[in-house]
Amino acid sequence: MISVKNLKKSFGENEVLKDISMDVDPQEVVVVIGPSGSGKSTFIRCLNMLETINGGHVVIDGKDLTDKKTNINDVRTNVGMVFQHFNLFPHKTILDNITLAPINVRGINKKEAEQKALALLAKVGLSEKASAYPDSLSGGQKQRVAIARALAMEPKVMLFDEPTSALDPEMVGEVLEVMKQLAKDGMTMIVVTHEMGFAREVGDRVIFMDNGFIVEQNEPKALFDDPQHERTKAFLSKVL
Amino acid sequence: MDFRFDIVTDYMPFFLKGMGITIGVSLAGVLIGLILGLLIALGKMSSNKWIQLPFNIYINIFRGTPLLVQLLIIHFGIVPLFMSPSNPLVSLVIGLSLNSAAYIAEIFRAGIQSIDKGQMEAARSLGMTRVQAMKLVILPQAVKRVIPPLGNEFIVLLKESSLGSVLAAPELMYWGRAAAGEYIRVWEPYITVALIYLVLTLSLTYLMNYVERRMSTDDQR
Repeated sequence: MISVKNLKKSFGENEVLKDISMDVDPQEVVVVIGPSGSGKSTFIRCLNMLETINGGHVVIDGKDLTDKKTNINDVRTNVGMVFQHFNLFPHKTILDNITLAPINVRGINKKEAEQKALALLAKVGLSEKASAYPDSLSGGQKQRVAIARALAMEPKVMLFDEPTSALDPEMVGEVLEVMKQLAKDGMTMIVVTHEMGFAREVGDRVIFMDNGFIVEQNEPKALFDDPQHERTKAFLSKVL
Repeated sequence: MDFRFDIVTDYMPFFLKGMGITIGVSLAGVLIGLILGLLIALGKMSSNKWIQLPFNIYINIFRGTPLLVQLLIIHFGIVPLFMSPSNPLVSLVIGLSLNSAAYIAEIFRAGIQSIDKGQMEAARSLGMTRVQAMKLVILPQAVKRVIPPLGNEFIVLLKESSLGSVLAAPELMYWGRAAAGEYIRVWEPYITVALIYLVLTLSLTYLMNYVERRMSTDDQR
């Protein structure tokens, strides 16, 4: 589904991703953990070219993002993204937030798009908010809408960039619940998070990143209970 | 000091006609300035330095030189190349449009760049092109933020249209000077003209406040 080979990314002199290689199988849930500044957010943002890639290859669903001939907009329609700060469109209602891209990018007619949006809102438990504006929602509700908005494009992969980091603690659960359901439905997911409980429970594989490298990756149980590297041990001892 | 109201009443038809032309050229200047300004703003925000360059030069020239000088060059230098004799109203509209476009471009650019960059990222991550994201997500939000500075610019433009009198464009100030010349009086024509400008700018202020209020309540239903 996703194949990353020797990915490199620098901001000026600062080399953030040094040499990342990994693959993600269809329906797999990969959780990326690591200290701040380890490059995990930059890594996930490279997967849909929100950051330009300086070296190596990212192949998603058979298309190489670094190939100049690849239409990045087409690739992005298959890769949903959920951001730490939601990034809902404040000038649109919840319903319009969800239907905007399906109507304008996919060319689906309005009625059909709205029906699907309402079904997605029901799925994330926010049917009654369809005509509300984002400002009137809580953080947890905003993030659930953001997930519904990404799902409306019927992506093959979902990327989550610290989806619960900007939430009040009591709202983390409702968002994770939606993500769990999504994983159960068989969505391929890459999740950058500090929620170790989620990583352990939902992840098929956990990747520990530090200093621009993948230090270690394994099944959650193995990685959390029996880390092989000193840096993984040091990190886990602080967060667990 | 005796104030001769008969001068004011005598010239009132001309003042009113001049006012109409002042409103007309200002409106034309604003509309053309808005369109050009938006294009210049988008050009200046290009990531390519070579594309930015001409737009930067344009803004620097039109903001950095007096409008009066621009009007004289346009009226006596450039417009005569295309029409003879050159029409002062045409020159005035061109001058006001080109000049205000430079200011409006900077207003738009500031407005667009004030929108959180997460908005563009979210739009792009949904598969929208840059143009779609601009049109559907960024500009509708930016428009609201640029209303107050745009209102300012409209008021400045309306007042600066008085420079058209130097080109003998028959706008409000032109008739003020004509009356002053005919009667060799200062107070009556200029005070009248000043009051009419004041009425126009205050109406515009009121209108812009109304639009601003409407826009800000728009998405908080």
